[in-house]
Amino acid sequence: MTDNARHLGTSPWATYRGALVMAALLAALAFAFPSVDVGAHPMDERNAGFVQGVDGVAVAPFLYLGAKHMATGYDHLLFLIGVVFFLHRLKDVVVYVSLFTIGHSLTLLVGVLGGVHANANIIDAIIGLSVVYKGFENIGGFERLFKVRPNTRVAVLIFGLFHGLGLATKMQEFTMSDNGLVANILSFNAGVEVGQVLALTFVLIGLTFWRSRSSFLRHAFFTNTALMLGGFILTGIQIAGYVLY
Amino acid sequence: MTQEPQAVSPRKILLATGAALLVAILVLLVAVLPAEYGIDPLGAGKLLGLLALAQARPIVVQESEYRLDQIELELLPGEWVEYIYRFEQGDSMVFSWQATGPLSYNFHSQPDDAPRGYSESFDAGESSEAYGSYDAPYPGIHGWYWENLTAEEVILELNTAGYYRSATVSRDRVSGEHALRSLSELTFRADTP
Repeated sequence: MTDNARHLGTSPWATYRGALVMAALLAALAFAFPSVDVGAHPMDERNAGFVQGVDGVAVAPFLYLGAKHMATGYDHLLFLIGVVFFLHRLKDVVVYVSLFTIGHSLTLLVGVLGGVHANANIIDAIIGLSVVYKGFENIGGFERLFKVRPNTRVAVLIFGLFHGLGLATKMQEFTMSDNGLVANILSFNAGVEVGQVLALTFVLIGLTFWRSRSSFLRHAFFTNTALMLGGFILTGIQIAGYVLY
Repeated sequence: MTQEPQAVSPRKILLATGAALLVAILVLLVAVLPAEYGIDPLGAGKLLGLLALAQARPIVVQESEYRLDQIELELLPGEWVEYIYRFEQGDSMVFSWQATGPLSYNFHSQPDDAPRGYSESFDAGESSEAYGSYDAPYPGIHGWYWENLTAEEVILELNTAGYYRSATVSRDRVSGEHALRSLSELTFRADTP
């Protein structure tokens, strides 16, 4: 449907280039300021201690940590729910989730291994806004209010990059031993995908069941509004954290 | 993208988005900000008792006075020693150790319910001194592993004070308890150079 960019309106968001420029501006914002430690879901103390103290390759623990982090990462999950909400064909689900995966894997790996440091609060606020964006798009907000149909795939990929930066900032809070770091981060990344698959399975089961009912479209509007609510709260928490510290 | 709600008016979308934003701001002001940051602009956080969540508990109350410990350990080239304290939940200590030469050290802990051989390292490296404080995150045994990787004998002195319960020293051939001191034994030198 919206494979290629469409110029339904004059909004800069509607083109590939426009989307990239927007993303670059957001990224610049995230890198311009020093970070403060109030993450959306920082690791619990014991896991944090483990990550800091590990020396050497530890595939299984990092795999588990990645899965745990994704499965309990409600900011990432809310975005994913928004993405798959109206995707009926498994093929579409695979395409969009793959785009998201490519995005967050890229920035997670580059972020941790390349030492790319971004402000965690700003990144998490952008992640919160990604949830609002998806909910807003799902209720037809862009089409109806702005007469624009943004490229969903590009948006998912770009937001995926920010989600990955969010993952990276959580890991960067620790000074990890270089010994085995590459293997460990790759394991963590793989774990994130495992957690994602698990979470999506439940989400899709629920959605499929729900879609069979006639009330789906009616309630879909309310649910996506609730998604926006969740996104706004997440964003607010992060902005508060940024401002207050 | 496939199906989308068809007959939704722009006004409805605007209202929904606006409502989401307003409710979010309300939730933030009434619940999240008080609970997470201790900021209570509407006073509702205090009313709901959420403000208490943000107020940290810097004081940990103990039942008896704290203990002191001092030990001198000599490490021949290649020798290692392990010095461990038993901590219960909430116990903490301050520590200070100095050695006549560089030592490989590893401060690690083993929770009570952990599987055999499991340990968590909190600080490791190579140094001839270290100072700090430690809050035991769980009950178990916590302490140092030192190893002399140099070709010369290294003498290490450890001084700690805290609420640990007992101390054990282990070496290659022998291990045993090390008697802790009590506060009453602490005397100050009247003449300072």
